[in-house]
Amino acid sequence: MTTSPIGRIGRETDRVDGPLKAAGGARYAADHQPEGLLHAHLVQATVGRGSVRRVDVSRAEAAPGVVAVFTPFRPLPLNPPSPQQSGENYSALQDTAVRFRGQVIGLVVADTPERARDAAALVSADYAVTPSRTSLADGSPGVAQGVVQKLADGVPSIDAALAASPVTVTTSVSQHAQHHIAMEPHATTAVWVDDHLTVYTGAQAPQRAAATIAARLGVDPAKVRVLCRYTGGGFGQRSPVWNEALLCAAAARALGRPVKVVLSREQVFTAIGHRGAVRQTIRLGADTDGRLLALSHESDGELPAAGGWQMMPGRDTSAVMYRTPNIRIDQRLVTLDTPPTWSMRAPAEAPGMFALETAMDELSVRTGVDPVELRLRNHATEDPVEGRPFSSKHLEECYRVGAERFGWSGRRARPRSRTDGDWLVGTGMASAIYPAWRQSATARVRFGDDGRVTVSSATSDLGTGSFTVLAVVGADELGVPVGSVDAEVGDSALPPGGVGAYGSSVTTSTVPAVQAACRAAVEALVRAAVENPRSPFAGLDPAAVRYRRGRVEARGRSVDFRTLLHAMGVPLVEAVGATDPNTTSPYRFHCFGAHFCEVRVHRLTGEPRVARFTSVFDVGRVVNAKAARSQLRGSIIWGVGHALLEADPIEPDGRFAAATMADYLVPVHADTPEIDVHWLDHPDPHISEFGARGLGEIGLVSVAAAIGNAVFDATGTRVHDLPITLDKLL
Amino acid sequence: MRSYAFERPGTVTDAVRRAGSGSAFLAGGTTLVDLMKLEVMTPDRVLDINRLPLRGLDTTGGGLRIGALERMSDVAADPRVRRAYPVLGQALDLSASGQLRTMASIGGNLLQRTRCGYFRDVSTPCNKRLPGSGCPAIGGENRTHAVLGASGSCAATHPSDLAVALVALDAKVRLQGREGARTVDLRDFYLLPGDTPHLEHDLRPGELVTEVVVPALPWARRSTYVKIRDRRSFEFALSSAAVAVRLDGDTIVEARVAVGGMGTRPWRLTAVERALVGRRATEETYVAAAATAVEGTRPLRHNAYKPELMKRTLVRALLELEQTR
Repeated sequence: MTTSPIGRIGRETDRVDGPLKAAGGARYAADHQPEGLLHAHLVQATVGRGSVRRVDVSRAEAAPGVVAVFTPFRPLPLNPPSPQQSGENYSALQDTAVRFRGQVIGLVVADTPERARDAAALVSADYAVTPSRTSLADGSPGVAQGVVQKLADGVPSIDAALAASPVTVTTSVSQHAQHHIAMEPHATTAVWVDDHLTVYTGAQAPQRAAATIAARLGVDPAKVRVLCRYTGGGFGQRSPVWNEALLCAAAARALGRPVKVVLSREQVFTAIGHRGAVRQTIRLGADTDGRLLALSHESDGELPAAGGWQMMPGRDTSAVMYRTPNIRIDQRLVTLDTPPTWSMRAPAEAPGMFALETAMDELSVRTGVDPVELRLRNHATEDPVEGRPFSSKHLEECYRVGAERFGWSGRRARPRSRTDGDWLVGTGMASAIYPAWRQSATARVRFGDDGRVTVSSATSDLGTGSFTVLAVVGADELGVPVGSVDAEVGDSALPPGGVGAYGSSVTTSTVPAVQAACRAAVEALVRAAVENPRSPFAGLDPAAVRYRRGRVEARGRSVDFRTLLHAMGVPLVEAVGATDPNTTSPYRFHCFGAHFCEVRVHRLTGEPRVARFTSVFDVGRVVNAKAARSQLRGSIIWGVGHALLEADPIEPDGRFAAATMADYLVPVHADTPEIDVHWLDHPDPHISEFGARGLGEIGLVSVAAAIGNAVFDATGTRVHDLPITLDKLL
Repeated sequence: MRSYAFERPGTVTDAVRRAGSGSAFLAGGTTLVDLMKLEVMTPDRVLDINRLPLRGLDTTGGGLRIGALERMSDVAADPRVRRAYPVLGQALDLSASGQLRTMASIGGNLLQRTRCGYFRDVSTPCNKRLPGSGCPAIGGENRTHAVLGASGSCAATHPSDLAVALVALDAKVRLQGREGARTVDLRDFYLLPGDTPHLEHDLRPGELVTEVVVPALPWARRSTYVKIRDRRSFEFALSSAAVAVRLDGDTIVEARVAVGGMGTRPWRLTAVERALVGRRATEETYVAAAATAVEGTRPLRHNAYKPELMKRTLVRALLELEQTR
């Protein structure tokens, strides 16, 4: 580990933004109240596919307080999305086509939110309806997206490799659409001053959001600023810009007044992307000792005709996880008339690893090899397709430490053999994997004449703790207390090159940039100290001047930077640091983990309850133990939802059956087990000098499999179609 | 804006006089306000009855009288309720969330509307919300819907846990209307959907629930409520059972059994009660008696598990009751 003058790295640090948030002082997108503000409400299509023939806006326009009603027949001009960009492939209100139920077909603007919502309910539309394609099963197999295959010499096909294997397992699993359910509903406040636009909206990538808004509204990107200092959850859903934000900005332009739109909870389910439904089949071939000889992973994922995120659940799971001489990954997409899909926390890895790790458990049952031992026997030191080594992999240690903490040894592999009163008790485990990713990044570090250091980067803190990461790393690098560092994110006007807060990559990518910026800022401070004629160090050789713990020192003289800046008459000294991505590395970068859990199922009524959970992760270096534990624990709770609760079936007419918080169940406290989270302390020497690989999503990966495997152990019933609900266990 | 008159009558007589078709009484508001926001309920007059003197728990004379405006949390916490009618306290404890129980009234709880997703979504047809418009649930998503009492027009379950416990206890509701007061058995108070699922109660226009009367039933000290659901808390029942059993030695001499989550209304199971009486309190007895519960169930596409779950819920409730002996 690198030396740390104040030793905050890896320790428990309170969130620097915690008190402000707890006291209600943090302003989110909908909290901005500019002068002259108008309020908008979306109108959504109530049919699954077809076209809008007519929209009757007369009652809405006559309603009190209504300023304007925009429809496909009175559109707000928006450019189409770039064909290179994934996501929705149309702009709302630009044509009469209805692509999915819930598509935005109108925007009502009024003087209060209540009046806008009320008038929106008075808008009625006539549709020409055509049948919707909504069944993933009917549409499968979908269109292949490039098959990944590697076969041993002389093996003609994966089917041949499977056929030649002494033991084979075929596992087909499915899951419905799922929703992100961020705590903050999607909201945007748009303010134009002359031809400059400021947009307050939750954005995972503020600079990319600003560029998108500029392109779609046809304005100079330099004149668009996105501000999202505080954002209540992203999980992927806030990485693109959705129609709500674009229409809000366009309406504000058209009306010459600031406009705010806040989606209702129900609207978020359909107007904003979801994790697509997916069906997968894993086929494993192994020898009788459980050593893999062949692995096939096929998937059919939902791809909305309206565009969306492509569900590729084999690429970063089966294609890298285990050693096998023969492997084939076939990821297919099925076009459906459903609301747009978008990445959702461990977007492909959570479903993909549910499939693989369920199949591995079945292989363990078939071969009689203990699940941990089975995974050790198939441990990969390089990825099985390209043969590239992993940068830093301590998964075996995760298994060992996890098994020890959980008390795995002595587990009897006899399903339905343990009870506690009327509860059947079972244990299960699974391996986790998630790609690590270092983007190019920038950060700015500023010494201020108020004695404070400001660390800035145009990324976003979604509630995940990036403010604190910036503050801790800046403090550590500069040798000053965390309390004297202000962190700044969520502003597209910060120096270009800030990273998007997705792919668990903010810490991985931004920390090296912060370190570079700190070094550059120190250099700038020293340079100013020798060059500024009013400086006590004026005229000295910079090599003779050193910076140490917030002070500039030379020739026995030591001055803190605040005093120095005052002496020089300079309000601040700052510098920007930038880092490159590590795309040319020969290594594969992944985080790893091992989950162990105990599940109880009532012998009569079948409800599955997770009793305890132990997870051990190998994620490189951790900046803030407190936030890391919270993040990993939160992921595991999400995984409980993935396994047991979360599903939104789509009906034949394109309606989501559970598109409300009342019907789409997420875990509550009572569903949350005792969770023991632990991580290994092995900084990754290849991903960066700092060695952090990120941990935003790994915690969720394979939780559902571990729970499903424990349910099998408890009951003898294998549930392949998520969620695992009591009706499947009666 | 959708406007409505908001009035705060000071007496029951005044409240009832002001009420009529198109009006709605507001107590805790946990159902009404919710459904007004969704535009499922669009009263033109809202009568806030919270000032009416419909409070208090009274146990004089043996039974239990609960004022309709008593809050769920207060009733659940009352030691007299917990001692004499554990099934009531437990049914309340397992309802909704702590916040909701603190607001919601007993009268409102009994009159809460179904949680059917189509009923609550005004972009879909629903015979209960818009008579004659059709029922998407019967051919649609119906995993949570009723297997007892459903018609071709509606298969929505009644969501109240409390009502299931009260039906088991032969509770009555006191109603006050312009023509005077009357008392109705809670069992008969709820109507089957038939062709008129929008008519849910034996409640005349403007009539107000003023009180719930639970008859004395000393052996209800041995009663329990079991609620089965996907989520461990803050979720309506897929299945529930209210049971009370009077034993003579090991022999069951009297029993009360009702189930929730199964019917279009709280469902009393007298056949199960008869099958229990005179038999020894053993799991075999419970299993055999519970088997009679599924008579007449009519599953839909996604709720075929419910009859089996009902049997098992009953057995579980009876077993758990045994442990309180």
